[in-house]
Amino acid sequence: MKLRPATSALLFFTALVFAAFSVWAPRFATATNIENLMSGFSFIAILAMGQAFPILVRGIDLSIGAIVGLAGMVVFDLALIFHLPGYLILPLALLAGSLAGALNGFLVAYLRLQPFIATLATLAAYRGLTYTISGRQLVPGLTTTAITDPWIMGIEAYFDVGGWLGLTKWVNMPWIPLSFFLMLLVFALFQVLLLMTRFGRDIYAVGGNEEAARLAGIRTNVVIVLAYTLSGFAAAIAALIMVARFTTSTEALGTGMELTTIAAAVIGGVSLAGGTGSMFGPLIGAFLMGGILLGLTLLGISQFVQQIITGMILLAAISNDRLLAIRRRPKLLAISSGAS
Amino acid sequence: MNSQKVINAKRRNLIKASMLGTAALAGAAGVLFGNFGPQSTGLGISQAKAQGTRYKMAFIQWQPHTVPAAWSKGIEEVLKPQQVIDYELLDGQNKVEVQASLMDTLINQGASVIFLQPIDSVALAPSIAKAKRAGISVITLNIDATEAHAAHVEMNHYFGAMDIAKAMGDVMGGKGKVAILNAPPGIIIRDQRTNGFVEGMKQHHPDIQVVSDQVADWDRKKAQDVLNTILAANPDLGGVYGVNDSMALGAVDVAKEKGLIGKLAIFGNDGEIAALESIEAGELTGTQYTDVYQQGRLAAAAATVLATGGVAATAFTQQSHLLMPYVIATKENVGSIQPAQRW
Repeated sequence: MKLRPATSALLFFTALVFAAFSVWAPRFATATNIENLMSGFSFIAILAMGQAFPILVRGIDLSIGAIVGLAGMVVFDLALIFHLPGYLILPLALLAGSLAGALNGFLVAYLRLQPFIATLATLAAYRGLTYTISGRQLVPGLTTTAITDPWIMGIEAYFDVGGWLGLTKWVNMPWIPLSFFLMLLVFALFQVLLLMTRFGRDIYAVGGNEEAARLAGIRTNVVIVLAYTLSGFAAAIAALIMVARFTTSTEALGTGMELTTIAAAVIGGVSLAGGTGSMFGPLIGAFLMGGILLGLTLLGISQFVQQIITGMILLAAISNDRLLAIRRRPKLLAISSGAS
Repeated sequence: MNSQKVINAKRRNLIKASMLGTAALAGAAGVLFGNFGPQSTGLGISQAKAQGTRYKMAFIQWQPHTVPAAWSKGIEEVLKPQQVIDYELLDGQNKVEVQASLMDTLINQGASVIFLQPIDSVALAPSIAKAKRAGISVITLNIDATEAHAAHVEMNHYFGAMDIAKAMGDVMGGKGKVAILNAPPGIIIRDQRTNGFVEGMKQHHPDIQVVSDQVADWDRKKAQDVLNTILAANPDLGGVYGVNDSMALGAVDVAKEKGLIGKLAIFGNDGEIAALESIEAGELTGTQYTDVYQQGRLAAAAATVLATGGVAATAFTQQSHLLMPYVIATKENVGSIQPAQRW
């Protein structure tokens, strides 16, 4: 795979940030901190990769955090009210998230609603639905009941990979959470889907120029619906990881996640103008943001200042995105004029 | 005569509150801990100072609000003068995943004690278990966790709310309609403060009817909108109970605008300074007052004993639990709350 210059710049910046924190932030370069980074931000990376699909087709999914909450509550209800076994809950939760995403896609593709407006509306609707179906309200006592199903709780497992490889003799290695492997699996799946299938090519075509894609015979509406469905699917996986981590779900689970994931995707070079970016960027973007947050906390810098810094990084990423888009334009013009 | 008795009893409560706190601060954190044996001798603050040992403690709040801010101030008042403890306030941003991540970071940093106002009792339990495994004591404030830990210090939500109901019913003459401005569901203290109020009404004033129970997100502005809607449906409303002071003060704003001050009995819960001032101005009818600084100081005193006494997080057979004393502050007794006790 050839790295785009934007991707290598991102990798360089990430390496620089991690190196700087390793020098200055106490206990940043420790096995425990790396473990915390992996367990605390793998699900955010999954969400950012999911968010990348709507952005690639020139849309946005503001409801992604609300879908996390909805899927989390579906798990909660199925486990604690209906006492379903975990092997049934897992697919049902994934189905719930995907359906919620598909509805977003339907609103955008078939009802021609602005993605921002459509998913803002479903953000409110899904969050409301989460409160409505909340087992925490319907059945007194469930608020203080933990989910114990082994299938779900099994997601919160850690593996001593360093020990297996015999590396622990030389260096203190972090235990790798299962959520990190799940994140890698989602990355592989999405990346293959995007780069090696016809659907992936269609995504780029629709994101680049929807009208041209339609004229070229691509069923753009189906592509858009699928893009939002994948976003919902990723939200459901993230919800499962979070429920396993917290042994419960709350009505507010995933609140504000839309901004974090959009930020991670844009920092990762997924252009808000559509049609540019891959899965690698959002993944790195999520862990870069996680590393910055952990590093600043270890340095004792106030979280309110951290939010300002996060905002500034996002602003820089978006400006960079615009700059690249403007630079791309003359090149495209040159190509089109050359062709004519 | 009877009401004078009640006021006197309340004054005694307030005095008890300050005395209890002082006792704990004097080192008698035995109020909290009855069930562990000191593991070794020759520990303590002076020893730590001599050896240059530093302890790290942090408080992870739910989100910025007057109550955790006052706890933090109380905690700092006790920890700072000891000169061996580094303390910081961390913000949970109203997100369980942020609180869990901060817990992880503090465990990584080798904190001695973590003060925690958990957003959810179950969701933070795995983090507390992890801290315990690392030998770190956790003290929860106001919201308990399902995982047993060193200590839990909370306001008396349930019984306080019962007393609020009683006081409100007394003001209303034992009959009429009341509305509740509530917090979003899913939080234990919301349930305690609501159920206590409803139960209190049933017990003391069975003729008073709760006609509306609406969510106003702990928020003053939201409470104004919600109450306006409730009043449109129930113009003969006699009382409003705000589950926290911010919402009760929102109700006061509406009452002022509509000329209902004096006609509408409005009670809050917490006892923050703005509420006490509103009571003195004759606007808010009353609130449950807890000395939140003292609550923070108590937690900090306990934490100091835990850290410098070398008490391991696993040394407890049973979690300690302290309910803060309170007083129902009304125009009659609000003056007895001293400036230093106002937060």
